[in-house]
Amino acid sequence: MDRSREIFVCLLSAMALLVFSVVFLLAEDETVIGSYMVGGAVLLWIMVRMGVYEKVITAVSHHERLWASLVFIAALILLFFFRDNHYCLFLVGTIFCYTIAVLGLNVQLGYTGVINFSAASFFGVGGYTAGMLLNQGLVPPFAAFILGGVMAGLVGCVLLLPVLRTSGHYSALVTMAFALLFNVFLEVNESFGGPQGIAVPSFSLFGVDFGSDVEWGSITGSFYLRYDLFILVFLAIVFIMVRRVERSWMGLAMDAVRLDETASACFGINIVRWKVTAFTMGNVLMGMAGALYAMMLAYISPANFTFSDSLLFLSILLLGGMGNCWGVLLATSIMVVLPEKLQFIQEYRYLLYSLLVLLMIVYRPMGLLPRRTRVVTSEDVA
Amino acid sequence: MSLLSCTGLTMRFGGLAALNKLDVHVEEGDVIGLVGPNGSGKTTFFNVLTGIYTPSEGRIVFDGQDITAKTPQEICRAGIARTFQRSRLCLELTVFDNVMMGNSKNLNLGFWHNVIRRKAFFQECRDDEARIRLMLKALNPTLADKIRKPVGELSMIDRRRVEICRALTGRPRLLLLDEPSAGMTQDETRQLMDELVAMEFEGNRPSIILIEHEMSVIKRISTRCIVLNFGRKLCEGSYDEVTSNPVVQQAYLGTEVV
Repeated sequence: MDRSREIFVCLLSAMALLVFSVVFLLAEDETVIGSYMVGGAVLLWIMVRMGVYEKVITAVSHHERLWASLVFIAALILLFFFRDNHYCLFLVGTIFCYTIAVLGLNVQLGYTGVINFSAASFFGVGGYTAGMLLNQGLVPPFAAFILGGVMAGLVGCVLLLPVLRTSGHYSALVTMAFALLFNVFLEVNESFGGPQGIAVPSFSLFGVDFGSDVEWGSITGSFYLRYDLFILVFLAIVFIMVRRVERSWMGLAMDAVRLDETASACFGINIVRWKVTAFTMGNVLMGMAGALYAMMLAYISPANFTFSDSLLFLSILLLGGMGNCWGVLLATSIMVVLPEKLQFIQEYRYLLYSLLVLLMIVYRPMGLLPRRTRVVTSEDVA
Repeated sequence: MSLLSCTGLTMRFGGLAALNKLDVHVEEGDVIGLVGPNGSGKTTFFNVLTGIYTPSEGRIVFDGQDITAKTPQEICRAGIARTFQRSRLCLELTVFDNVMMGNSKNLNLGFWHNVIRRKAFFQECRDDEARIRLMLKALNPTLADKIRKPVGELSMIDRRRVEICRALTGRPRLLLLDEPSAGMTQDETRQLMDELVAMEFEGNRPSIILIEHEMSVIKRISTRCIVLNFGRKLCEGSYDEVTSNPVVQQAYLGTEVV
């Protein structure tokens, strides 16, 4: 395909995605939601079978910068469209926060192969740190947001020793144990609000309180709009950073550690250094995302950060495609929105959800967007 | 002074001595053929040299520096590089990535350099790609065009070439080749050795220790041979001396039954 056609494909698919997201988020009637889902799945299936899907992805990957800007603009349009819809804005904000957290998990597991079954716990560490600090009035909200990440990184250091000394299943068990312990710790600890949780004051930046509704000239909107915009900008920064890490010598070292520790060691790659770097980097991202999420939610409890949430984060990564940042964004959107839209089938939605995961493992084991071969020297990089 | 001198090197796994009081000295410019029956401790010797195993006894001095209990990373930095008997390339990474892996001790791995200010990084990328292209070309002209392909798509002989380039790209002083002919036909092996002999090594040719079962290869490129059996050194000398030695013939072919 020539250049102009590829750019046209990028534009077209960004617009299609935007329209589909708006329509899907607006749908409330169960038959309509059901038909959108079936329609979307059938369309995707046809595209995969006809080879169009692969072509579109190739076209997009050739113009990643353009595509990234298009997605950013599409997100802005989406936010503007839903400016007074609390519920949809909250969903979009949740998607953004989760995406940041899963990008952190992607650095750990997707790049470096460090397994982490306690992603939601680090998410929670960030949230609780921000909440406690703000409740005490110790620091301004922006500092609480940063410190949420720092704290998650520090708590991660406690886990470092067992994680580094074990590998594979054992390492997974260590982090599982941590996830369960973290939850129990929060539930029994009265100073952290116990099972009821704590209220979290709203975020503010340059004297603008994020807790009040938006009034910008003639534009009025939900207070979630400010959160979403701020989180979107932060997400964009994180996304570019994580993507750059991948296409750098750091990413190369991380890949080498994941793929072959012995060979890496024989070529002078310090395995411990890269595992620690990836683990801490991921945890800090999760913590910062958690802090923002807590402030947006205004109220957090241990039930927000359970082991099954950690599993959700992991399944997002698997669904999207290990190591692929775009896959993370796509899969988070699906995994956050679907359960919300499927409330009408009540608890059966978990059945559907498991079915989806099973189908994925059978038919697309590498995820919706498998990671592409990294070409470090390519210069069209975000 | 020797480039590498191992004295009384012993490696025990439980009751088994895979290496038994081994003395090996390598001079600058040597190409040493390391031969011996299966299980005689050749690969163990490489693993001990590169720090994968810590020897039970003995001392390894490389370039005046004691590297006996050092980690693989430190030994790599000291200037020893190796290939593996069973190819240990990362199949899903490109040829470029795999070769650069061997150069990682020389790379700037800082966050600022890699993620924030990328200008110098891209310059490095271009320079390194050009350098590796030349190196691949020197080994085999067709390989240079595959530099952005994943290694998993390459043939066995190309993978061997990539492995050798990976070991050479960090400009080692000592190169350990662990059976480069494994998994290849005789013609391919001959071709690979032709390429290796013709290689310029960017002006600084490393000393080489080569493990090989293919005796024609040893005959062709080695300056000296060492024969191992049951972790001991049976004998040492030129190819002709070693092959005519009755002890070696006995180890390989067994005792003559009269």
